[in-house]
Amino acid sequence: MIIVTNNPDVKEKYEGIRQIEFVEGGYKDVLIRVRDLIFEGHELLTHPLMGSVKPNETPYRSIAVSRHAGKMDNDNAIMIAECMQTFEKFAAMGRRDRGRNTPEWLLEDFRYIDLTLISSAVDYH
Amino acid sequence: MKLELGLIHVTDLQFGDVSKVEDHVVYINQEDIKNLILEDETIESVELHIAKPGESVRITPVKDVVEPRVKVSGNGGVFPGWTHKVDRVGEGRTHVLKGMACMTIGKIVGFQEGIIDMTGEGAKYTPFSQTLNFIMDIKPIEGLKQHDYEKAVRTANLKVSTFIGELARNVEPDEIEVYEHDNVLEGMKKYPDLPRVGYVLMLQSQGLLHDTYVYGVDAKQSLTTIIGPTELFDGAIVSGNCVSACDKNPTYIHENNPVITELLKEHGKTLNFVGVIITNENVYLADKMRSSDWSAKLCEFLGLDGAVISQEGFGNPDTDLIMNCRKIEAVGVKTVLITDEYAGQDGASQSLADATPEADAVVTGGNANVVIHLPKLDKVIGYTEYVDKIAGGWSGSLQPDGSIIAELQVITSATNEQGFNKLSAR
Repeated sequence: MIIVTNNPDVKEKYEGIRQIEFVEGGYKDVLIRVRDLIFEGHELLTHPLMGSVKPNETPYRSIAVSRHAGKMDNDNAIMIAECMQTFEKFAAMGRRDRGRNTPEWLLEDFRYIDLTLISSAVDYH
Repeated sequence: MKLELGLIHVTDLQFGDVSKVEDHVVYINQEDIKNLILEDETIESVELHIAKPGESVRITPVKDVVEPRVKVSGNGGVFPGWTHKVDRVGEGRTHVLKGMACMTIGKIVGFQEGIIDMTGEGAKYTPFSQTLNFIMDIKPIEGLKQHDYEKAVRTANLKVSTFIGELARNVEPDEIEVYEHDNVLEGMKKYPDLPRVGYVLMLQSQGLLHDTYVYGVDAKQSLTTIIGPTELFDGAIVSGNCVSACDKNPTYIHENNPVITELLKEHGKTLNFVGVIITNENVYLADKMRSSDWSAKLCEFLGLDGAVISQEGFGNPDTDLIMNCRKIEAVGVKTVLITDEYAGQDGASQSLADATPEADAVVTGGNANVVIHLPKLDKVIGYTEYVDKIAGGWSGSLQPDGSIIAELQVITSATNEQGFNKLSAR
């Protein structure tokens, strides 16, 4: 499995245990990288919109895809496209700064929730 | 299977020297509750509050809401796997302190949600503005990790609700509601001409602050399974879900599941209520596939004509909802979905993150993005500094005058996906 993430806490926990692809960027950049991997034939393993923390609230996202790349999965391609649409919908609502001007203690909590959600998915598999 | 609910209508809630229920008034001795909560070594301190309908009080951030109940006859005790040993519940008689609720607040993580206003604009949207509320503000010991804090708060509420419920054991109920259901064979023989209807209850199960427990078991580790409808009325399903205030199912709503209540009332009249299927909402896609396959298989095994499917939460659970719908329809069972919408502040955007043509009968709990203005209230129980951080709030949500401009999603149970909310198109 490859964990695509922009969350340093996820990188720290899984480095050496799982393959990590660390994205320097925001939530959307993680979605874009996962979309590209799906196009290259990697299979999507976790839902890109995990958690009830909305895309315009948390700046962090971690998504697992397969290491093996085969033929592109159409359902996966549709799912990531729909997730990107949902992201754009929430982004258009403005509101939260998605990381900018967010106090460090709050970013810490966002990282922690992202870490526990991805852990609850990948630790069983 | 038959369960009698003995409803004791609570008219007032007060602190007193002795914890008791007398003449419809619940008296609570603060020391009793504090001693109970502080048994847990991970809890540093607790403050207790009472809030009543109509008072100028705002409660936030609300974690869980529980209705106090006690099992007076029949097998087991309330909240099996938590405050009573794991034993089958759902039969006999249970007393309910109707009209009151036990709720927990606490700073588990920074972005938290759940506002309950006891008066004004916000009160219109939450069912818990109408209950006499017993509120526990629980603080952890220094350094306690968030997941342990959540567990401590969840367990404390169940213990306190069990303790308060116990006060009603020997009180004569004002009203008895009888809920009876048949096993599959009896139902088929008694009502051969009525449509066979099941209920697929989706449970939030993504991880920390997003979990649900069935008889003490974390639902994300369970395959889709069947539960007796009345088992929920005895607290078989407990919420550990602290996020998505508007569309999570607090334990209180599981205890009062309105879909089950209505289906039981219609059983033998307009339909044959065959059973309840519980299924999870996991993050892993293979889990989603497996769980929804299982929902469809169980609908098929039960020979259903129709199924009501209720969701919990938003976003990736939309995928579970749509998978359940598509697969259940594919085995020849008609579905009706209950969900809510994130359709933008103007209501013009796509409501769900997923869709399918088979989803042609959908009931909405409302649009969680609608903007509301909550007036300043005289008293705050909890912490309004979190309002700017919660889902549906944004920088500047908390106005200098103490009022709040935010989306409906900040209000506890405002768009509940079991239909326990107050929004209606009627």
